[in-house]
Amino acid sequence: MGKVHTLALFNNFEEAVRAIQELKGAHLPGFRIDDVVIKSPIDHPELSEMLGKRPVYVQLFTLAGAVLGGSVGFTLIASAQANFLLQIRGGRPVVPIPPDMVLTYELFILFGVLMTMLGCFIAWKLPGNRSTLYNTSISVDKIGILVRADPLVIPKINEIFARHQPLQIMGEHGR
Amino acid sequence: MSLSNLIKNWSSLRVKRPYEDQYKDKDYKWAMVIDLDACTGCNACTTACYAENNLPVVGREAFSKGQAMHWIRIERYWGEGEEMKGRFPDRGAQFLPMLCQQCESAPCEVVCPVGATHHTPDGLNSQVYNRCIGSRYCSANCPYKVRYFNWWQYPERAWPNPLELQLNPDVTVRSKGVMEKCTFCVQRLTEAKGRARTEGRRVADGEVVTACAQACPTSAITFGNLADDKSQVARTWERQQIKLASDRQEKDENLRGYRILEDLRTYPSIVYMERVRDSEA
Amino acid sequence: MIHTTDESDIEIERRFVPKAKDINEDIAWAQINKDVLRSMERPRLMYWVIFLASLALFSVGVYCEVYQYRNGLGAADLENPQVWGLYIATFIFWIGMSHSGTLLSAILHIMHADWRKPIYRFAEAMTTFSLMTAGLFVLVHLGRVWQFYYVVAYPNERWTWPNFNSPLVWDATAIGTYLTSSIVFLYFGMIPDLAICRDNAKGFRKKFYWFLSAGWQGTDRQWANFRVAYMTLACFLIPLAVSVHSIVASDFAVSQQPGWHITSFPPYFVAGALYSGCAAIITLFIILRYVFRFEAYMTMPILDKTCRLTFAIAMVWTYLNLIEYASAWYGNDEYAKQALIFRATGTYAPYWWAMNFLGSIVPFVLVFKSLRNHLPTMMVVSLLLNVGMWLERFMIITPTLAHGYYPWTWTGDWWPNWVQIGIVAGSFGWFSMLFMLFCKIFPAVSMYEVKEMVYHRFMASKARA
Repeated sequence: MGKVHTLALFNNFEEAVRAIQELKGAHLPGFRIDDVVIKSPIDHPELSEMLGKRPVYVQLFTLAGAVLGGSVGFTLIASAQANFLLQIRGGRPVVPIPPDMVLTYELFILFGVLMTMLGCFIAWKLPGNRSTLYNTSISVDKIGILVRADPLVIPKINEIFARHQPLQIMGEHGR
Repeated sequence: MSLSNLIKNWSSLRVKRPYEDQYKDKDYKWAMVIDLDACTGCNACTTACYAENNLPVVGREAFSKGQAMHWIRIERYWGEGEEMKGRFPDRGAQFLPMLCQQCESAPCEVVCPVGATHHTPDGLNSQVYNRCIGSRYCSANCPYKVRYFNWWQYPERAWPNPLELQLNPDVTVRSKGVMEKCTFCVQRLTEAKGRARTEGRRVADGEVVTACAQACPTSAITFGNLADDKSQVARTWERQQIKLASDRQEKDENLRGYRILEDLRTYPSIVYMERVRDSEA
Repeated sequence: MIHTTDESDIEIERRFVPKAKDINEDIAWAQINKDVLRSMERPRLMYWVIFLASLALFSVGVYCEVYQYRNGLGAADLENPQVWGLYIATFIFWIGMSHSGTLLSAILHIMHADWRKPIYRFAEAMTTFSLMTAGLFVLVHLGRVWQFYYVVAYPNERWTWPNFNSPLVWDATAIGTYLTSSIVFLYFGMIPDLAICRDNAKGFRKKFYWFLSAGWQGTDRQWANFRVAYMTLACFLIPLAVSVHSIVASDFAVSQQPGWHITSFPPYFVAGALYSGCAAIITLFIILRYVFRFEAYMTMPILDKTCRLTFAIAMVWTYLNLIEYASAWYGNDEYAKQALIFRATGTYAPYWWAMNFLGSIVPFVLVFKSLRNHLPTMMVVSLLLNVGMWLERFMIITPTLAHGYYPWTWTGDWWPNWVQIGIVAGSFGWFSMLFMLFCKIFPAVSMYEVKEMVYHRFMASKARA
């Protein structure tokens, strides 16, 4: 049997912190801390730290893009120059280094930027299905805690949530 | 394929031009000598150029705006003349026919974004009209300002029917929005080279001349092949001790030959002959 | 429907913003959403006045361009040494204008200067749209604009490529990179806000924002990746912005023309770019503050900070400007010296002196705090500064082309005609039209970052207490 979601909305930041701490300490069967997702209107690095280390791989995409853009850019430009029929201009060498450095630099940045965006989209798992448990008040000022767990433990999780003054607890069933 | 070409020919792709004896083993390097002491400023060269190269006559209004298309222009300077009682000084007029200097290291070639202007193997600074997009950067960067832009659709106004019948069929008629300039009458050069190649020889000295040189009544303009040691142009260059690949000539004091704005390292292909006088010195 | 007055209008003015604070920390987050979202629906009447005026101005530009397209560039009265006229001058102006937005946003983001948060969005939009305007001039000035794609390095069977040696190709690459990157940066910073729009929109707008918000739900993983990616983009954009205007400066510094062939041109251009961009930020700040009723977010202390920054950059520009004159004056290059003398005493001398006055003297108004906080004065001063910066670009192009190496081609009586002036005016219309459209369709104030700003300031003040 698959796992199901439950989402609790909190008005109070401290209560949300305590709810997460209690979830961590509860040792429920079929529940992992990795399945907890915080949804917040602003970035709360201090809150997500409590969920354990969640690595970000965007930098690797950036690095790949920058290296690729620089090296492939230079090679393409230089070989285009070397193959151009009307290649001798103004007494400059056919493959002049300073102009190529300028162009390489721009391509290095362009590909770095594009790959950063791509990497971020991949990390966001686009274009994938979003979890249906979402409340528009999250984009205003509420903090949501989304838990994915075995259907049997969901009532227990909801119990923990209920102890911390949630505004609302939403489940996948009964909607 | 491209990459292997790049790696294999790397050293030849890194050569800087012009270098000494660049044209020694080549067949052609077109060059010119203009004797300013012989020039009378008669404008015959300009007229011949208009006829040969299908240059449009732009009319008084456009001319006064600086939109003229004269590939070779006669510049008039007033030198050390006597002040006259009348309105004009009668002496001291100096004339200088100015045309594209066919620089070996041409500033215009470097800056063209599409590579419409480039250097040919026989040392010409050529212009590909079809490729030109009209950014005019070449003109902005030309120290001699000898590049002319088609500001209007000239063919319609310059050669109304039946005048288009007088056009030279060997030369493209340029449309609006492209840059053009003196080509050293490349249509004549190409024809002569083709003829010579068929006969298995090199173009002889004097076999081909530009329209301006042909029309000059005082023979002030000499055109020829600098790669041919015995040509008149090559001998004059040698006599005037001017080296193509040098930006500062070490020559005798009394020699008249010089190249215009040589210290900009454009390495022009045209030598002017006139004692450079500094009236303030 | 145009609503000129409504209740919230009065409400904003009543809402108390302490004088010394950048923003009122007690503002409710729901109120932030409400204020910004409302700006996208019901701006003041002035919005439509500005929009229609810029549309009209743009039409003038289109008419002039069509006329020039049909007749050739002679219609713009360009001539042999004066080959570029106002087009390239205005091109540099718009490229310069584009610099502050992204550069300031990125620098201030890296330095965690949180007062940038309410104003960076429109500054970045300004960057994007002025780059698009600058791109127009690249096309407008071409003799054969229908062949513009020759500049692009696309593979073709004839093996013809653009000339990679040409600074214009560097320009095209740099501007293309900058436009792409600044759009990415603008869009990325906007994703959480687009999600807010999505949550509050209906109908086709919901679909539109749903698509753009890229499934944003504010999860911790999304935030963590977002944080890293946004910081990386900011780090890329700073050197990129500097390189773009240095490359534009290279168009001139690489050339041989006396008056252009100056090694200090790249930093000079970058400083000038930042300068005119900052002045433009002040102008747009004042306009948006009024038009969209952003009095609670675009506060006077933030304007004050921007003004002080502008003054500092104005002084950098003044220094580099003087250095340029000094190096021409004391250098042994007679040609460059002559070109400088021609600028200061020749036909265009009044404009040269006006440029120096507007660029170096007028910014001293910014020294006075009372004037910095007086909106009408700041509006006039910021516009004057940009007039000065436009004149600077005019002074770079026209007198230099009029006074090159070759005396026979010297001209002293060239002036732009109505076609050029019309196209330049049209570019301002095009810019403000796009900018105003953007502010209507997208949130011009970053909602989530204002929340962050309010949150962190609130926490800090609580920690102090």
